[in-house]
Amino acid sequence: MTILATEGLTRHFPRVTALDQLTVTVGPGVTGLVGANGAGKSTLIKILLGLLAPSAGSAQVLGMNAMTQGAEIRRVVGYMPEHDCLPPDLSATEFTVHMGQMSGLPRTAARERAADVLRHVGLYEERYRVMGGYSTGMKQRVKLAQALVHDPRLVFLDEPTNGLDPQGRDEMLGLIRRIGTEFGISVLVTSHLLGELERVCDHVIVIDGGKLLRSSSIADFTQTTQTVTVEVEEGQEALADRLTELGESVTRHGRMLLVHVRAPETFDTLRDVVCDLNLCLVRMEQGRQRIEDVFKEPVDREPADV
Amino acid sequence: MSEPTGVIHDIGYRHYGGARLGRGHATAALLVHSLRGIFGLGRTARAKIVPFLIVGVMMLPAVVSIAIMALLKQPGMTYTSYGVTMQAVLAIFLAAQSPYIVAPDLRFRVLPLYLSRPVTLWDYVGAKLAAMIVAMFLLLAVPLTVLYVGELVIDLEGPPHTGGYLTSMAGAAVYAILLACLGVAIASFTPRRGLGVASVIAFYLLTSAVSTIVSATMDSVNNYTASGWALMINPFFLVDAAVQVGLFDAAPSAPVAYPDGTSVVLQLLIVAVLIALSVIALIMRYRKAAAR
Repeated sequence: MTILATEGLTRHFPRVTALDQLTVTVGPGVTGLVGANGAGKSTLIKILLGLLAPSAGSAQVLGMNAMTQGAEIRRVVGYMPEHDCLPPDLSATEFTVHMGQMSGLPRTAARERAADVLRHVGLYEERYRVMGGYSTGMKQRVKLAQALVHDPRLVFLDEPTNGLDPQGRDEMLGLIRRIGTEFGISVLVTSHLLGELERVCDHVIVIDGGKLLRSSSIADFTQTTQTVTVEVEEGQEALADRLTELGESVTRHGRMLLVHVRAPETFDTLRDVVCDLNLCLVRMEQGRQRIEDVFKEPVDREPADV
Repeated sequence: MSEPTGVIHDIGYRHYGGARLGRGHATAALLVHSLRGIFGLGRTARAKIVPFLIVGVMMLPAVVSIAIMALLKQPGMTYTSYGVTMQAVLAIFLAAQSPYIVAPDLRFRVLPLYLSRPVTLWDYVGAKLAAMIVAMFLLLAVPLTVLYVGELVIDLEGPPHTGGYLTSMAGAAVYAILLACLGVAIASFTPRRGLGVASVIAFYLLTSAVSTIVSATMDSVNNYTASGWALMINPFFLVDAAVQVGLFDAAPSAPVAYPDGTSVVLQLLIVAVLIALSVIALIMRYRKAAAR
């Protein structure tokens, strides 16, 4: 089943091209959309909501055409914007009820749904207070609640972890995972941190400059591009040369060496080489997949995607 | 979905299988929400002070007139002069509340949330404008109706002024439309509420001061046509002249005579043009806001 699909989607603005021939398909579950600022993530969401017409190409959401059936799409899709969007003089309950009505729920149903959804996102007594005094974490929860209040089939979450502390971030990610699994609502979540999405997504799409860099399941992702970061006090050169001799691929990254993990044996080789050279090992850590890594390599690896 | 377990408050996520109504319902909900907000309902106690105070002041002449009719057996205030007499109060209400209608959604960027729902931008603008029009109409129509009911109950000699009442209701409708369009259009240009309040009140003070000064000057040099037209700069006299006096033949409620004869068509045209310009300004403003 396809939740959304784009075909050659292009959008030009007077001075920039926000999307360039983007062709992706997204299935049910949680899908991450990764890209740096200005990569075209928000433009893509606007087009998918039917709020912005593409310059070329087409987009389908839940089997509906985004260009002609925008209103029908927006009825069954939820959207959580990246920026602040809460009026400070309303309580979370009133606001969520109102937004439920705006999505077409009758007033009594909107009340019930708002109470349910606010509880699910973890707002309890504080939901009766005006939102002006809320912390960032609480605001993010209300923003999420208003996107879910009409029980959509799909939600677009634009940078939901923005501005949250580590604990809030974990809770938000847990919530996103629950929405995708327990609630049975498909999720398209954007972020500029791939590492964060790794934990909750089934599938990840990476875009840069409006172009598709990669679209694959999360399992492929972590397998194919695992690296280990090695830092030694001295003798970095020697280590790099020796590893290259032994057939490992090594990249220099400041004071660190990034070693590509071909197989579990790479770790053994690494350990042996460090011992042989009698180097002082400062640290050796599993490389957190960083977005730049993906930007660098896949062009020659998967040219078919671009 | 999992079955309810032993814990009573963890019933899991429930899907919604009920009715999903259309754009019309959502627009109506927005209108009601905004209208309640204008009068401070569903908002903090502080937000209720100004609208309730103004509603109280608007009711005063009606109450006093009823008292005069009941105790002194004399006719009270004429219906058609209500709007012009209370113009400062109406203007204060317009200035205080029309920024509330538009500014917070722009300033706190709630607009994208509305647009991510089935309503279109024009449903949104229409609902907001309609809410302000209804509020202005109620503000004027409720005291007029109270006054009329009072007149019927007290039953003075001679027939009741039903004609005057109906004329004033037509006037109230046009007042509401013109003032709300002007107020909301002016207020929409700034996302800051204080600035919006200041702009709308400045607009009223400016038009009323200019019209008073120019018309008094012209009157003193015996140029009565010019003095009548100068009065038209003030929207309150414009509606009185065009609708209440022009269309329904009521007695004018102005310090100098209105321009007479065929000028009614022109006055009505000015009213229509002002409304159209305000709506166009609003559309342009929101087209820009939505593109952001």
